[in-house]
Amino acid sequence: MSALGKGMGMIRRVMALALLLLPLAFLASTSAHASARKTADGKVTRASGRCGSCHPDERVAFEKSRHAGEEMHCTSCHGGNDQTVDEAAAHSGPNWRGKITRAEDPKICASCHSDETRMQPYDLPVDQYDLYQTSGHGKGLAKGDGKVAVCSDCHGSHEVLSAHDPSSRTYVTNIPRTCGTCHGDSTLVRERKLKDTYHEYLGSVHAKSLFDKGNLKAPTCVSCHGVHGASPSDIRNVNKVCGRCHTAERRYFQAGPHAAAMAAKQMAECSSCHGDHGIAPSETARLATSCVKCHAKGSKDEVLGATLLATYQAAEDEIRKAEALVAKADAVPLRTEDYKARIEEAHTYLREALTAAHAVSPEGMSGYTERAKSVGEEIQEELKSKLQNITVEKIFLLVFWFYVIVTIGIIRRFRDADAEVVK
Amino acid sequence: MAGSEGRTEQPQGGESGPGRRQFLRTLSGAFLGIWALGGAGALAAYMRAPEEDHSSTDRIVRIGKLDELRIGEARLVRHGVSPFFVIRTGSESVIALSAVCTHVRCILDYDHERRGLVCPCHDGRFDLNGNVVSGPPPRALPTYEVSTRAGEVFVRV
Amino acid sequence: MSTLPKAAPATSRWDRAIDWVDDRVNLSELFSFLTHFGLIYTPIDTKRPLRDVLHQVRTTPLESYARWPHILGLLTALLFGLEAVSGILLAFYYQPTTLSAYDSTRSIVRDVMLGWLVHHVHMWGSYLLCGVVLVRMLRLFWDGLYKAPREILWFSAVGLAWLVIQLDFTGLLLPWDVKSYWAAQRGLEIVWSLPIVGPLFSTLVGGRTMSEDVLNRFYVLHIIVLPLMYLGFVYLTFATMRRVGLSRIAGAVPKLTTFRRHVSDLIVITLLLFAGLVTLATLMPYQFHGAADPYQTPKGTLPPWYMLAPYALFQLPIPRWIPGLGLLAVALALPFLPAIVKGAGERLDEKRLRMAGLGVFGLWLVLSVLGALVDRK
Repeated sequence: MSALGKGMGMIRRVMALALLLLPLAFLASTSAHASARKTADGKVTRASGRCGSCHPDERVAFEKSRHAGEEMHCTSCHGGNDQTVDEAAAHSGPNWRGKITRAEDPKICASCHSDETRMQPYDLPVDQYDLYQTSGHGKGLAKGDGKVAVCSDCHGSHEVLSAHDPSSRTYVTNIPRTCGTCHGDSTLVRERKLKDTYHEYLGSVHAKSLFDKGNLKAPTCVSCHGVHGASPSDIRNVNKVCGRCHTAERRYFQAGPHAAAMAAKQMAECSSCHGDHGIAPSETARLATSCVKCHAKGSKDEVLGATLLATYQAAEDEIRKAEALVAKADAVPLRTEDYKARIEEAHTYLREALTAAHAVSPEGMSGYTERAKSVGEEIQEELKSKLQNITVEKIFLLVFWFYVIVTIGIIRRFRDADAEVVK
Repeated sequence: MAGSEGRTEQPQGGESGPGRRQFLRTLSGAFLGIWALGGAGALAAYMRAPEEDHSSTDRIVRIGKLDELRIGEARLVRHGVSPFFVIRTGSESVIALSAVCTHVRCILDYDHERRGLVCPCHDGRFDLNGNVVSGPPPRALPTYEVSTRAGEVFVRV
Repeated sequence: MSTLPKAAPATSRWDRAIDWVDDRVNLSELFSFLTHFGLIYTPIDTKRPLRDVLHQVRTTPLESYARWPHILGLLTALLFGLEAVSGILLAFYYQPTTLSAYDSTRSIVRDVMLGWLVHHVHMWGSYLLCGVVLVRMLRLFWDGLYKAPREILWFSAVGLAWLVIQLDFTGLLLPWDVKSYWAAQRGLEIVWSLPIVGPLFSTLVGGRTMSEDVLNRFYVLHIIVLPLMYLGFVYLTFATMRRVGLSRIAGAVPKLTTFRRHVSDLIVITLLLFAGLVTLATLMPYQFHGAADPYQTPKGTLPPWYMLAPYALFQLPIPRWIPGLGLLAVALALPFLPAIVKGAGERLDEKRLRMAGLGVFGLWLVLSVLGALVDRK
């Protein structure tokens, strides 16, 4: 009994000691690289072989990546032997490459990603490397510029993720920040005499749409500049780039007098008024304020802008009045669903008028403003007459009072009929 | 109430001519009668429930995809207080019939074998054109216009 | 009883018809129902035939109350009648659910023929009724008409005022309009802060915040419970009048009139009242502000006007139950004013009492104005 008790006490003591030591052991195992080398159990995983024994951080990053499950191994890029923990044996062999330099990075990625047979199962394009060569980054790299972006700068080195993965650096909402790592870095940007386009973009209507409204279709850096072939747009092509999405605006712009004149003078077309990276939301006021940037104040052309604005505002005013009347009718209440639908229609015309304004022709724009205006006026007219119908009730009220008074007269006659009886 | 009580006893004394007095009395009575008429009229106007919105979109009922209706299948559409049957009679032909018996407003059943509608209450029978085949129903069933657009069936009620 | 005048023997077909029914049903009893609600207050013997009773009523001179200041009491009954009629008509269409309350109210005004008139008349009637009961209480107080033997009259006057306010408050919510919803919500907050009564009341109406339950209970209170209680107090008012008579200024000779004149006056007053309400309803209709959105409080919401004074008090930096207790004390003391005055005896002479009452009323007015301005910052 007592021996057993002693034995139990012993076990308890050992366990307590083990519990005390456990965190220490844990610390020891994770803190130093050297100790990792010693305690390594040589655990083999499919993707990283035994490399993880000495390179645990890289292993973790790699195992999470898109590559890990796709017959990619450490050795695919770095070479060497991943079946041993012996450093000399592992870091050797005919294809041993070791640490990959920035200069060779694109080539190594291309060794698979330009191979049609390898990419076919994943339905991936194979032209990224060729495109990269044409890009500003690729050209820089070819000239020996070590600071231009290479594949791993955007995609990550070990942690390459699919562009559809929201945690990926190449996921649509992360793209601006990925580009901004360099293009928003103040020292880098100053050094290279570039614009801090990242921070400019953050203030744009595009960024608001992307981040605030969660519109994944909103343009990011790559929408205009291209992905792997990223390059600054040629100034003559800016309107084409914008016109990819803003097709109607471009059509009107091409039809207007600005297109030829600006092309002749090699002026940036859309961005002259709207700005480039920090594109501001469309404001109707700009119809009148942006002209003065190029045209002399008070000149015929400068005044034209004010005319456009006035036309637009006149239409907008009518619709606002119509809306006020609809609110009034709602309080009565009258049936207003139909009017609300028509006001929506008028708003559409107004919106189209702004698009048409890119042709800077008052005639072209007035087609839409006139329609919007007439809808607004029609609604006002109809609602006014309907609201005035209520005055019919007021006339009826007069008849009613006449009736009441006559009735009171009759009752008074009846009332006084028995005056004698009381006396 | 007391007023009408009193009104029956119009003034009896007075010197003016009985003809004129009688005329005044009739006139006053007629005048007061308009109150009753007007009141009854106003009440009747008020009590008449407003009709449902007549906008055309409300009156077109979407039934569903044509493909989902088997040929020969009858579907009871519960639309407000006037349910109706939608029956696919052929590959392209769909008919819509009121499901309310014209006799005492029972809801009809579809008789698969005889391809007609039968009333569970008094065994009134209708064919698929809505005509009365047998039983007490006095009138044919109303039929509704069916249209098929882009594979969807719509009924105009 | 045999000395009472008898009606002339039946001559017309009408008279004979009355006699025929009267022999089989006690019409006099039915008729006496009218006396209970004050239309006539000549004492009648229900055992006599109806035509004799009518004859007696017609020929007995009476003191008409269809004139100032007695008309205030008459109006509390007449307006209630008009509210009842228009309210019944509204109930034909109104649906007390949070989903359809607003739409059904709007539909009454917009789609139902003359629905706007019924609805707006109901609304203006309630405004007038609020004013009338308030003025009536003031006048009863001013003329000292709560003293023996009129304590019950005062009691029922206070009861009527309370009921009118509650009717107004419960009715306010029913359209489920954005303004009315939030006004009622504010009001409910105030009621909630009254000690004891608040939680009790909230339990009664189904919660502290607006919900389907509250709406439905407000509806039931508004159309059944409160009107029945109101009817009870109207009965009580006329019952005191039949016992203690109409009030009159000391020393004045009672002005007698005939039944016919009295009824004519009643009809004319009803007619004028109706015409006035129709006029107000036409010229100043109710405004719809959109259906209530429980998740969005509009700016500038105030509780209903009779709650503005407590609303102002609740802005004070003291726990809410303190003004709540004060309010409750005033509300509970009000019906027992006669007993309080009697208890005070000589110390409270007429003039001092009037001034005190005027002071309280003035304070209430000032607080109400302050309450209306609280959120105007």
